[in-house]
Amino acid sequence: MVALAIANQTVREALRRRVMWIFLIIGVFLIALGPVFGFLNPRDSQVVLKSLGLAAILLAGLFITIVTCIYLIPIEIERRTIYTVLSKPVQRYEFVLGKFLGGFATVFVNIAAMGVVFLAMLWLQTPGHHVPPDMFKGIMLTFFQMLLLAALTIFFSTFATPVVNFFLSFGIFLVGNLSSVTDSLTTSRNAIARGVGTLVHYLLPNFGNFNIQNSIIHPQIEIANANAFMMQSIAYALIYSAVLLILAILIFDRREV
Amino acid sequence: MAAAISIHGLTKKYVDVWQKQEVVAVNNLNLDVEEGEIFGFLGRNGAGKTTTIKMLLGLIFPTAGDATILGRPMGDNNVKRELAYLPEETYFYDSMTGWDLLDFYARLFRIPEPERSRRVQLALEKVRLQPEAWKRSVRGYSKGMRQRIGIAQALINDPKLLFLDEPTSGLDPIAHAELRDIVASLKEEGKTVFLSSHQLADVELICSRVAIIHNGKLLRTGKIKDLLAGERTEIIVQGRELGNGMLQKLKDLVPVVEPIYDHTEADDALGGVPTDMLRLSSDDFEKTTAVIDLVRGVKGRIVSIVPHKRTLEDVFVETVRKEDGV
Amino acid sequence: MAATTKIYTQDSIRRRKMLLPLMLVLLLIVVPFLQKTIDPTAEEYHKGEKSLVTAGMGLNNEFLLLPMLGFREAAAGLLWVRCDEFFHSGDYDAILPLVRLITWLDPHADNVYVTGAWHLSYNFTDSSERSDRRYIPPAMRLLDEGIQNNMNIPDIKFEKGWQLYDKVKDFNGAEDAFKLALATKPSKNSDDYPYGAPLRIWHTLAHAYEKQGRIPEALATWQKAMQRAHEMLGRNPKDYSTKQLLAAEKHNYELTLQRYQDRYQTSGHDHTNPTPYPAVLMPAAGSKTLGPWDGSFEPHVEITRPKVFKVSGRFAVADGARVDVRIEDEDYKPIDVSNARDAFNIPLDQTILVDTVSVRKTRFEREMDMSRDAKMYSFSKPYLKVILSYNPRTTSPHLQDRFGWSGEGLTDRNPNYVYYDKRPELLGTKLIEGQQGDGPKWDGKDETWRQGGRRPEGSTEEWKPGGQPPRLIKVTYRVKAEDVLNGGKVLTDKDIVPND
Repeated sequence: MVALAIANQTVREALRRRVMWIFLIIGVFLIALGPVFGFLNPRDSQVVLKSLGLAAILLAGLFITIVTCIYLIPIEIERRTIYTVLSKPVQRYEFVLGKFLGGFATVFVNIAAMGVVFLAMLWLQTPGHHVPPDMFKGIMLTFFQMLLLAALTIFFSTFATPVVNFFLSFGIFLVGNLSSVTDSLTTSRNAIARGVGTLVHYLLPNFGNFNIQNSIIHPQIEIANANAFMMQSIAYALIYSAVLLILAILIFDRREV
Repeated sequence: MAAAISIHGLTKKYVDVWQKQEVVAVNNLNLDVEEGEIFGFLGRNGAGKTTTIKMLLGLIFPTAGDATILGRPMGDNNVKRELAYLPEETYFYDSMTGWDLLDFYARLFRIPEPERSRRVQLALEKVRLQPEAWKRSVRGYSKGMRQRIGIAQALINDPKLLFLDEPTSGLDPIAHAELRDIVASLKEEGKTVFLSSHQLADVELICSRVAIIHNGKLLRTGKIKDLLAGERTEIIVQGRELGNGMLQKLKDLVPVVEPIYDHTEADDALGGVPTDMLRLSSDDFEKTTAVIDLVRGVKGRIVSIVPHKRTLEDVFVETVRKEDGV
Repeated sequence: MAATTKIYTQDSIRRRKMLLPLMLVLLLIVVPFLQKTIDPTAEEYHKGEKSLVTAGMGLNNEFLLLPMLGFREAAAGLLWVRCDEFFHSGDYDAILPLVRLITWLDPHADNVYVTGAWHLSYNFTDSSERSDRRYIPPAMRLLDEGIQNNMNIPDIKFEKGWQLYDKVKDFNGAEDAFKLALATKPSKNSDDYPYGAPLRIWHTLAHAYEKQGRIPEALATWQKAMQRAHEMLGRNPKDYSTKQLLAAEKHNYELTLQRYQDRYQTSGHDHTNPTPYPAVLMPAAGSKTLGPWDGSFEPHVEITRPKVFKVSGRFAVADGARVDVRIEDEDYKPIDVSNARDAFNIPLDQTILVDTVSVRKTRFEREMDMSRDAKMYSFSKPYLKVILSYNPRTTSPHLQDRFGWSGEGLTDRNPNYVYYDKRPELLGTKLIEGQQGDGPKWDGKDETWRQGGRRPEGSTEEWKPGGQPPRLIKVTYRVKAEDVLNGGKVLTDKDIVPND
């Protein structure tokens, strides 16, 4: 209840941030530009449209998530508004949870908006107005990828400054995206490479799990366990986000504001 | 009367990791605030006022010591239902309207509708914010309006105890007076106010008791009445005869006797030329009369008799300077 | 009042002191196991994708930015547009690294594999437009990689088959590739649904069978193609492209059947000649001798100037025959491209030339100037082989009418020139006993298209693929690289080494 009130306030505040709108507009613009770039793949212009659309959602979503979540807690401290909140009967975990939910709801709204534009674009451009269901999956996995990123950014924001947080979150996002590399490292012959690979692959948030764009934009690619994979990836995002939020709460409980 | 706040040996030390220096922000603070009083918490910038309040509210954690607030340990979440805090120079969520902002804070107390709207309206009326500003975003508010919203958010839960940190600083004279009156009126409603301020005139006007904190240490605490006790009368006398044996007699009579110098431009460098005038300071009516008699007795002239009331500022400056050894 | 020191006095912390860390530990244990479950499918999703670390190494900044930001396919598309510019400007060397990068960025860009491999196989030539054969293994490697990453589409498999058929003349390999393409799992997203591959691949498969001399299988394949065309027309009678294909299938089936009858079963369509190869045994024009025709091959190879070969001679066959010429290192073997990163590093010290000379009025002559392309022909090995050969399987139909698909009706007065290529994969239609064939005696009663070297269905008895190896006319010379570099040498019978 209290966390929801905080989340609600957070969304309203976040949606007024100009930088978020800039990224959203860039994202929508890129999606809308998709048909123009059909020439990049003359045999199947759909591939470019899909690729550009999904990438635009991912890219804009990435920046929106980071710029939104990075400031949620530090700006409260900087403006001292956190004093007015935490001096009320609000538990600190409620505050962290509220901020996370608010930040994530903001990201959700943005991804949903871009998703709708993208699917509409696809619907318009596809002969027979058929939208492949794989595209929903793509958007959904991006969405859960951003959930994990939001949790990561919130976690860092409980102890790091926004600038440090930006590089930490972005860095881990990049490393986490190398999952196919780290996966191959886990069976490396070099013990150090194997150790580092295993650690990174299984312990750091594995953002690469969610990058299925390349396979789903090519309709001919069929994955055997696609549905199970979706569920596993979503479960992964939820569980790992919970881990990060618990850590964030444990740290924030001890944080002097 | 029961103690609203009871502080025992509260200490906060910060350690600078790089310099390995220890900074004591609050040093073994012991203090009691009675229920129903407006308590002035005085100190210079950086004296430890805000640190103390933040510890009491559980925003930061003490290095040592303890405190109870309304009978419960500090930081207890339940006691926060009865508390209010107005931090110094808060920005608030300035994209929200005044009404929405208060509604948000009311939600944090889990106050349901329609009670919530009633409370919001009541608080806005109480701080005399013009109704046409209620639905405007806080971004466009003047400093006075923001401060009113700040007090309104503190009143939203009808608290028993309010912590107000510099509620009147930086305001224009009219707003200043109005807000001061609002704070003063809280006492009439039976609320306890812990007022941190260096607006000493205000404190003197509305507080019943004060504490003076300096460099984290509590220097003085007491009722305003007691601190200001001891009215002082300044007497300026003139007479040629006053310089001789009379001087000692006057010094025996009153605590302060000092010659008045004539500061002409030429003499300035030498510290002025002594005149035949003396400035005396008496803290007793009887002594004043005796001085007048004495001066008149040697045909001296009474230039002026000015009664001086002691102000809180005098007490504060005196106390702090004494501590600093100035 | 108890004045104990508490650093964290919030109730909530006390309550959560145990619960949260416990949850944390439990969830943290779950994470690696979940990841382990995800990995196999994730690998499938990321098959063929190279990480940006690998793919990014060769990218310019402006191109690196795009994939880094998630626009892998867009970057691949942009690079592909740039490739196109290079195709137009003829900057062929610049295309290869781009093809490499694009397929790493977007391993499902099927047209890039196809075009890239075509480019490798066909576009690198010497000044006489002879392809640089050293690029064929990389081309095949690229196609194999594309097939691996795109098992669900027939396109790249077909391309591999086509290049083996058209460029490499490896009809057996082509057959395998076409079969692989035809075995593609049907996909609802494909135009070919409910089939896995387009109809035309049946055509190329049939041609590949025919080129291997496996006529019954070719005929069976044409029949299958016709059956499928009928099925497709049943569903969509207005499918004009299928109608056209069906017409071609009918024509090809009938033509092949006709040739099969003419070449192997009848003579002059009278169905009276009992011999297995009636046409072959008929005397050729201007001859009264029955039996295989003597080509009387008389090759003459001369190194006229440094690195310039003059290949000429006599070959008593009809116009339209072509003599294949290969000039290659004595130990020439196509390189084994196993590492994706080295895919386009061709062996610069390898020398190989493949060309043909046409026979007109029983004579052939051609000068092969290898002096102008030092990059292609390094002559860095001590010995070279010059191989002149005539393969009835690749010759034109009017000659096959005379010699059979596998050269059953061709021989040479010099027995050293007659060469049977007995690689099992090259066994064609059954050959009668006594004609270097391994198969059982031809009895003319079998159903024609059941033959061709397959184990009969349900049969368990020991079985040997019977069939006809192609009979070639072939001469191999061994020549010192030094002599080639010096020029002025005529190759004689002493330079002839046994064919292998």
